[in-house]
Order: sequence, then structure tokens, then C-alpha cells
Amino acid sequence: MLVFNHLETYLYLALVLFAIGLYGVLARRSLIAILISVELILNAASINFMAFNRFLAPHPAVGQVITLFIMAVAAAEAAIALSIIVAVYRKLKSINIEHATELRG
Amino acid sequence: MNVMLFGPELYYLGAALVFFFLTLKRKPEPKADYQIAMALGLGGLLVTGLCLCQHGELFFKAYRVDLFSQIFKFALALGFFLVLTICHNLPQIAERDQAEFYLFLTTTTIGMMLLVSSVELLTIYVALELSSYSLYILVPLRRGDGIDVEAGIKYLLIGAVSSGVMLFGLSYLFGATGSTYLADILPKLPQLASSPIGLLGLLLALAGFFFKLSVFPFHFWAPDVYQGAANQVTTFIATASKAAAVALLLRLAILGAGYGYSFTKALVILSIISMTLGNLVAIIQRDFKRLLAYSSIAHAGYFLIGILTLKEAGYIAAIYYALAYLVMNFTVFMVINEVAKDGRDLKIQELAGLWRRSPLLSLSLIVGLFALAGVPPSIGFTGKLLLFTSAMSQGYFWLVLIGAVNGTISLYYYLRVIYCSYFTDDPNLGPITISTPIRFLNYALIAIVLGFGVFPDRIVELAKAAVKTVL
Repeated sequence: MLVFNHLETYLYLALVLFAIGLYGVLARRSLIAILISVELILNAASINFMAFNRFLAPHPAVGQVITLFIMAVAAAEAAIALSIIVAVYRKLKSINIEHATELRG
Repeated sequence: MNVMLFGPELYYLGAALVFFFLTLKRKPEPKADYQIAMALGLGGLLVTGLCLCQHGELFFKAYRVDLFSQIFKFALALGFFLVLTICHNLPQIAERDQAEFYLFLTTTTIGMMLLVSSVELLTIYVALELSSYSLYILVPLRRGDGIDVEAGIKYLLIGAVSSGVMLFGLSYLFGATGSTYLADILPKLPQLASSPIGLLGLLLALAGFFFKLSVFPFHFWAPDVYQGAANQVTTFIATASKAAAVALLLRLAILGAGYGYSFTKALVILSIISMTLGNLVAIIQRDFKRLLAYSSIAHAGYFLIGILTLKEAGYIAAIYYALAYLVMNFTVFMVINEVAKDGRDLKIQELAGLWRRSPLLSLSLIVGLFALAGVPPSIGFTGKLLLFTSAMSQGYFWLVLIGAVNGTISLYYYLRVIYCSYFTDDPNLGPITISTPIRFLNYALIAIVLGFGVFPDRIVELAKAAVKTVL
């Protein structure tokens, strides 16, 4: 398949993922859904790194290493985010962002 | 490898280990923990001071130790120590969590220290996340009625999105240049001036630092987090974390030099929106910490003025102002912390009669606020003067004009706070007693704010030498 051997295919894929993630962050109201959208953004960046690594980079390992780091850091982020979401649920009995409106001014 | 090169980071890593063992104790001993923390903070200041003149490269050149990074590391150590001095009572943090509070405060300091020395994209990303994640945990550590977790989740989500956007930008930078080292990327970017990928990547990559500095599109977290976090945590976010963000913005923004006008135009727009929005919304605030949050958004705009000149004078001004901002903002937060002894959120009206309740604190407040507003002869005035003259000499007349108008607007709400503490009184509010160490801290802060405002030469010389290692 010729289309899989072009850098552009992967860049467009990443851009679409990035856009979906950004839209999800802005439009969704559930904290879990927002977290998933953030992960989509991170995955879009990972795809970019892998694609550039495959087609352009002088050194073949750099992009892969970065992607591995992104995975590890994203896992840590998910752990912290979920623990705070549990704390939010315990106090507000809801994980809908619209119920978290104590702070304003 | 020379240990001194990596000295501050190793020291704080050891300190984090000490705090980790303190968290394992079955019975919490807040008093003993606090004394250990103070000793470690003071030791850190000494170690960072001793390593001030180190320079070299570590870890396959991904980590650069030079005067620029060491000055900011010293500022971070100073911020860490200053925040510890106001932790003598932590009413908002449960006793069994206090050792963890020190632990995460130390790890976020390590993260920022790594950040100011990083000159490679992956290192920058990991160091930024280390410092951010520790702060994400510190914010909801406050015991309260839900506002702490609300602030925590908002901080985390906005932070996660901005670091995702940053990573996406970094991937374009990597793709456009094929390298992750800033030193290799810099000469290659001007060749790409015809295609937007490098510029787009760079602007997206700055997003992570705009978040830390609370520059316009990523500023939403600031008021909520400032109000919702414990006073000490807010103090750290408002002082040390800003200095680290400015340091990295200075390192990254220089990449945009090849793009000339189209790059600086974007920064000019962000700077103007941040200044104006922060100052205008601050006017209507009643909670003092929220007011300071909007003031920090406005100050992010001032920092950008120095950064976007992309010239030596602007960089010197930005470094000077970052150091000055750390001290003057801390002065104000120290007053908040002493007036609100039970750790509540301070309303501006609760400052009523402060001149009678504690003359020294009211003097510190007036000095700190005048410095933030840029009234001579404080460091805030000297800093703003340096920033505006550097931008003026580059021909940014309208930017300087808008900045000056904004400075006047900001004077209005700072004066409102001073009016409240000097010209209103509430007989129900009793006098405030302050301990001897805090008394000396007050004297020292006032002396620094006024002293380095009148005699800025030493700091400017230091900043000048530091900038030479970056440009």
C-alpha cells in the first residue's frame, strides 16, 4: 500500500487526533472523558515523533525513545489525575466539571 | 563527572529522600519535621550558592550548567527556603500529610532546577512534568470543603492540555530539524523560514511555559488555584515556579530569532492581552489571593516584553525582573500568611486596621505592593524601567505605551488594598503577634526590595554575565 509509505499520511493522522483531543477537552463535561482527550493529544504527539523518526531523522532511535518517555510520563499523569478525580468524587459526589464551580470571581 | 556541577540537584535529591523517610514515620511530628526542613532549606541555599560559578555540560550535552542556570537555581533555592520560613504553622495541611508536603515541595524544586539547565527537548519535557506533577499533588493537599480538589483538578487538566500542546509543538520542531538539541535546532530554523512548520512548532512548544507563567490563553487556572491551594503552596507557585518558567522561555524564545517579525508579533499580542486582561479583572476582586493571581497574569505580560525583544538588554531586564518578582511577590504573600494565621483565604477587607494591628506587617505590605506596581525606589520600578527601555530601543513604542498605561491601572487596585489596611479600621480585629524570626525576615525583605531598587548594578552585572552564556 503506497499511502502507508508517505510521511504526510501520518502527519495528517496525528493532526486529526490532536484536533479530536482538543475538541474533546473543550466540549466534554465528564472529567474522565477530558482525561481521555488529553491522552489523545499526547498520542498525536507520539505519532508525529515516530513518523518523523521513520522518514526524516538522521538517527533512527531518537523518536522511539521520546515516544517511550511520553508513554511513561502519561501513565504517571493518568495516575495522579485519576487519584484527584477520586478525591473530587468523594467531596462533590460527581465527576461532572459543571458541578465544580465553588471558585469564581 | 564533577560532582559540583550537579551539586544542587543531588543535594535536593538527598533532601527529598530525607523527607521520604519522614513520611514513613507512624506518628507525625510536625515540629521536628519543620526543623529538619528548615535546616535542609538553609543547607540547600549554601550548596547552590557555592555552585554558582560552575559551568560545563553533562549527560551527552543534554544538560548545560552555566551562570544563567546557576543564578536561577539559586533563585529557586531561595524561593524554596523563603516558603519554608512561612511554614512554621501549616493549619491547612493535616498533620500526617505535612512530611509529604515537604517531600513534594522538594521534588518540584528539583524539577525546576533540572528545567533551567535543560537544553534538549526530551529533558525539558521530563523536567517540566516532574515539577508540574508535584505541584498538582500539592494543590489538593489542603484540607477543606471541596475547593481544594476543585482547584487541583482544574490545575491538572489545564496543565495536562498545555503540556500536550507543547509536546505536539516539540514534535514539529524535531521533525523540521531532525535534532532534539537546542544548539542544533537554532542554526537550522532560519532555513525553514518559508514553511510555517518551524514557527508553528515553536509557538506550540512555548505553550507549556505560558501555562506555568499564566500567559493569556493558558491563564484560566491561576485565580482558582491561587485561591484554592494552601497559602504556602500558592506562595511557591507564585514565586519560584514563575522564575523557572521565565528561565526556560528565555532559552526557547531565542529559537524564534530567525523568524523576526512574525514570531515577535505573536508574542506582542499575547503580552498585550495578558497585561490588559489581568489588570482589568483584578480591579473587581475581593479575595486578596485572587487579586494577586490576576496581578500575576498581568506580570506575565511584562515578562514577555523583555523576552520578545530577543536582544541582550531585554534578556537582562527579564532576568532582573524575574528575580525581583520572586522577592516582592513573596513579601506580599508573607503578609497574607501572617495575617491569616488560621490559613483561611484572606478577603481584602480583613486587612482593615493593619497599621494598628501590626505596623511592621503593614509596612512590608506597602513596600511589596508598591514594588509590584512599579513605584520608585523599589526593585519593581527598576525592573519595569529596564523592561520598557529595552523594548523602546527595539522600536516597540505602542507596546511600551500599553504597558505603561497598564502599570497605572494596576496602581489603582494595589492602592485599594493599601487604603483598606491604612484608612479603614475594624475594632473586632485584634493585634497580630509575629515571632522574632519573621520580624527579621520582614526587615530583610524590605531592605532587599528597597536596597536593590536603588543600587541595581550588582544584579544587572550578574544578569549581563548570565545572558552572555545564553545568546
